[in-house]
Amino acid sequence: MARSFYRKNNKQKKSEEENFSLEIGTNLVENLNKINKMLEEPNDLVIRKFTIDSASHRTAIVYIDGLVDSNYIHDHIMKNLKQATELPDDKHQLFDVIHWEVITVTDIELGQSLEDVCNAILSGKTVFYLDGMDQVLIMDTKGGENRSIEEPASESLIRGPRDGFIENLRTNTVLIRRHIADPNLRFKNYEVGRRSKKDLVVAYVAGIANPDMVEEVKRRLETIDIDDAPESGYIEQWIEDSFLSPFPQVLNTERPDKAAEAMLQGKVVIMLDRTPFVLIVPATFGSSLHSPEDYYWRWSLATLIRILRYLAAFISVFLPALYIALVSYHQGLIPSDLAFSIAATRDGVPFPPFIEALIMTATMELLREAGLRLPTPIGQTIGIVGGLVIGDAAVSAGIVSPIMVIVVALNAIASFALPSYGIAISFRILQFGLMFAAAVFGLYGIILGYIMINIHIVNLTSFGVPYSSPFAPNFLNDWKDLVLRVPITMKKKRPDYMQTNDQKLMDKGDSSSEKV
Amino acid sequence: MKRFKYADERISEKDILVAIPSSVIGVGILSLPREVASVTKFADGWVPLLIGGCIVIFMTWAIAKFASGFRHQTFLTYASKIVTKPVAIVLTILFAASSIVITAYQVRKISNIAQQYLFDQTPIEIVALTFLLVVVYAVSGSRAGLFRINIMFLPIILLIAFSVIIFNLGWFEIKKLMPVFQTPPTDYVKALNTSTISYLGFSILWFHLALVGQPKKAPKMAALGMCIPVGLYIIIFLVCIAVFGNAVTSNLLYPTIELAKVVEIPGGFFERFESIFFVIWIMAIFNTTTMAMDISVIALNSIFKNTMKLKIIFMLAPVVYLIGMLPQDIVTVDLLGAIMGNTIVILNIFVLLLLTVIAKIRGVKRNE
Repeated sequence: MARSFYRKNNKQKKSEEENFSLEIGTNLVENLNKINKMLEEPNDLVIRKFTIDSASHRTAIVYIDGLVDSNYIHDHIMKNLKQATELPDDKHQLFDVIHWEVITVTDIELGQSLEDVCNAILSGKTVFYLDGMDQVLIMDTKGGENRSIEEPASESLIRGPRDGFIENLRTNTVLIRRHIADPNLRFKNYEVGRRSKKDLVVAYVAGIANPDMVEEVKRRLETIDIDDAPESGYIEQWIEDSFLSPFPQVLNTERPDKAAEAMLQGKVVIMLDRTPFVLIVPATFGSSLHSPEDYYWRWSLATLIRILRYLAAFISVFLPALYIALVSYHQGLIPSDLAFSIAATRDGVPFPPFIEALIMTATMELLREAGLRLPTPIGQTIGIVGGLVIGDAAVSAGIVSPIMVIVVALNAIASFALPSYGIAISFRILQFGLMFAAAVFGLYGIILGYIMINIHIVNLTSFGVPYSSPFAPNFLNDWKDLVLRVPITMKKKRPDYMQTNDQKLMDKGDSSSEKV
Repeated sequence: MKRFKYADERISEKDILVAIPSSVIGVGILSLPREVASVTKFADGWVPLLIGGCIVIFMTWAIAKFASGFRHQTFLTYASKIVTKPVAIVLTILFAASSIVITAYQVRKISNIAQQYLFDQTPIEIVALTFLLVVVYAVSGSRAGLFRINIMFLPIILLIAFSVIIFNLGWFEIKKLMPVFQTPPTDYVKALNTSTISYLGFSILWFHLALVGQPKKAPKMAALGMCIPVGLYIIIFLVCIAVFGNAVTSNLLYPTIELAKVVEIPGGFFERFESIFFVIWIMAIFNTTTMAMDISVIALNSIFKNTMKLKIIFMLAPVVYLIGMLPQDIVTVDLLGAIMGNTIVILNIFVLLLLTVIAKIRGVKRNE
């Protein structure tokens, strides 16, 4: 529904940007003036005029300082041009000779309009002008400072590769290529942004990924029409299925190994320039709770961790709600000894359990948010000191009961144990809804809330794949890698719910699994 | 052959296998042991339960066999071909009406039980309303989604049912089951009626089979699915008798929930297991109710083709609520349930016979 709304807006005529439709003239000085005028003579614009072939031809190169690799320009353009001799006199021939022989930059193309020139310069390319020609050479000389490849801070693992994506798209595609050395690996290029053009790459393994799904991803990407996409979150929000859902329908990661593993399962990876976060589609509920580390440890440990994670998911959604329901409606359900001690600790607390829980969870969220904003050492201190001090003080002040502090602390820890920040946040949103339901209807409210969450999940799709798969629609084969993680040798097929073109993972084993 | 096509909203035969027990298991089983035990002696109730089960399994198979012959056609379409359009519309309306009453019955019943086991002060009107709203939310979603919900909930429901049975093993007294076959034959017939009514839920086959992509194996799957509630009911009945004895069982209002009351969780984690049991059982009742309501929505939608599905649902919901709130006390509610059960059994048998015979006589071709 949202998409159709945007599509309507798209139909509005794209306003013509007159400034950019100017042609390139034959006069060098005029051409250079045009560029200067268009960009309003920025101080980082470098226009180097020079002559070649014993001062018989006037030329110039234009680039923006800092975006380019100046050593590269010197070695592959300037030096070659200066040393070239016996060049033809005819302008056209000369231009061709320079294009094909003299310049040794690997990526080189012709530019016809001022718009080409401007976009090229702004994305770190170098433009070569020859006096008397209405064409230019655009050479890829991208360079400049980049962050080095580091371990991603948001997804650190005990075991696994230590490299992470960085802000440079080319480096990121290389990282993927190193993981998947397959001739069927496909990178499809797109440009997004009206004002600021950014490169976007759709990566998938042809022959594995379902072609219908790849087409759907491309179709959605082509509808993107925004000024600028500073981060892949813009892309995610534009192409996701339902903006009303609390659940993330697109996964993101900073880890090349996770992205590569997803691609080998038949998923599609979307990479945007200038952000280390790549998107993985489609996402399912099960895959949101997976971590790449699950596959690196032995299966028994990995399975245990996964079960623990599902338990953490349960706690992070239901625990405060259960506390509220049990304490305010169903005291009879709690064993009598415990019920007495809870009643004793709640003695003197002036608020009903719902308000009590709301105060504590709100405090917890505040601490979390504050800890994020502060530098790491201070942030940790805030987390620990804040949690301990406020919890302790709140109990002694009689605002909350000690059991409540335990409940909220356990709940927060459980939500941090989840591998994806996105799903942890969505659980926290649900938790507030369930707390409210529990405050009104007790256990009955919680179960109705649970049913409603389930209704929502089964109706949700991510790029045509049901969000609830492989639970429902049920794919028994995929249960091998869901809550459990069977030994690697027993996982013979790619996930069924992905409907890949090449389901088999190994040649060994029985052929009976083929007959489905 | 692929079971699941990318972005496909059809359902598979295996979904039918799950949907049948999901729409059968509901409030019925909670009071069934009492109803059966009160007309039979000792543990003899399993005989009518088994015979009734066999009849129902056969009927399920027959309906599925008949309906799957008309691939991807709605009930109204193929019924119109066989017995002219006006008659088909009347039959569809009968199905819709009976499903509406069943929905209302379930909604009312769950509110009564919730009042008894969860809260004593909240008025049943509020409990019923919230439950109905959640049902409406489910029905207004995609139809494939309903079947997915069934798949998600059924394992949990069976798990809690079997945990009740297993935790009760300690209270078993085999001598309460003896002696066997003491009931006079006329009482078996009475009990047979009760047991057949409790297996209702196969009406979905008339309407939902049109959604199945490859309905060839559907009859087998539907019959297999029906075996699950039959087996479960017999086991629960026997456990009730073995734990409480016939006399106590026939006097308990909801013997199955009382069975959960006996349970003591080792480790003393919870007390009053019956509340937990009933809370989980709400999922089972929810599945039954949504499937019943969806039947009426499909039926009405096939008659009023140009009306939006949501409009139908929003018009149905108040009707369901009013019908559910109409009976004054629990006796009237149970009476309503019994009448509806008999009506639906007769309706199903009647429609099956009518359509089969006339289709034979007029030679209506299948799979067109």
